[in-house]
Amino acid sequence: MFKNCRRWACALALAALPLAANAKPIAYAHGTTAMAEYGAGTMTEVQVSYAPSYRYSFGGGHLALDGELDDRSRDITYLRANFLPKRWNLPAAQANVFVWGGIGRASAGDDGSDLTAWNAGGQVDYETRRVYASLRTDWHESSAFSHRIDTLQVGFAPYLHETDELAVWFVLQARETTGGLTDGTEVAALLRLFKRSAWVEAGVTQDGKLQAMVMFIF
Amino acid sequence: MKTLKSLLLLAALGTAAGANAATIEMTVNGLVCGFCAQGIEKTLRKNPATDDVYVNLERRLVAVATKPDADIPDERLREALKDSGYDVTAIARTERPLAAIRGERAAKP
Repeated sequence: MFKNCRRWACALALAALPLAANAKPIAYAHGTTAMAEYGAGTMTEVQVSYAPSYRYSFGGGHLALDGELDDRSRDITYLRANFLPKRWNLPAAQANVFVWGGIGRASAGDDGSDLTAWNAGGQVDYETRRVYASLRTDWHESSAFSHRIDTLQVGFAPYLHETDELAVWFVLQARETTGGLTDGTEVAALLRLFKRSAWVEAGVTQDGKLQAMVMFIF
Repeated sequence: MKTLKSLLLLAALGTAAGANAATIEMTVNGLVCGFCAQGIEKTLRKNPATDDVYVNLERRLVAVATKPDADIPDERLREALKDSGYDVTAIARTERPLAAIRGERAAKP
């Protein structure tokens, strides 16, 4: 079944994985978020989104992907909308529920076929100044295949930071993918640093592959 | 001594409603991440009455220094914080300079 998957659809499925899983898909009203990621030697992605409101954002991105279970390259350009249906602002914590959906076009390597696919997903997260946890699921559907990707992250800050100080977080990530995109659960240890409007994150998977991301909001 | 402290506190609170107040201090819920809080400064600085903004995560504080004889209505403040993704739980107006409020950071754990 996997052999019949269109490359662009696989790319769309993976496009949503690492970026939004590590951060909130909506920054703040009238905020623009730009992100770029290098994922374990198989993925390079850039993404930009703008939030007219703190409750929703729109964006687009481009992804280049080399499949883990096949050797075809995939390129996709996509549009996506994110929505925040619920937020809890507590005295010393914040929790969120996000949902999103998107559609894209991609070129699929060997025959250059072009296909339309869509994705839908959601994220719940909880954060204090010391701990962070998020659970995310993405469902990707096309005429060629259907995937679901679940990502769990837990993070710990070794010290409390203020807005003008460098923040340091240690993050452990576990990811399970259905539909044959990857083999088994991928676990990664990440070091996350941010200060003001700049965010840098890097780490390794259990296979020793580099995973890195930069993000800016302005 | 306790009475004196109470009187000083009342005197400080008494300035809260003053139209010429120099600083607005807000207590904010959900203020846990410096990266996510960038929107607060950006949003508040758009207001023409704003002179400076200070955010302190530890004290759940957002302080706005206003320009001379300028003020920002409470509704606007709550709206600005809501747009940034947070909830205001209390608003007080004082004459404490923003520099003094920043200085308190080092004095408090």
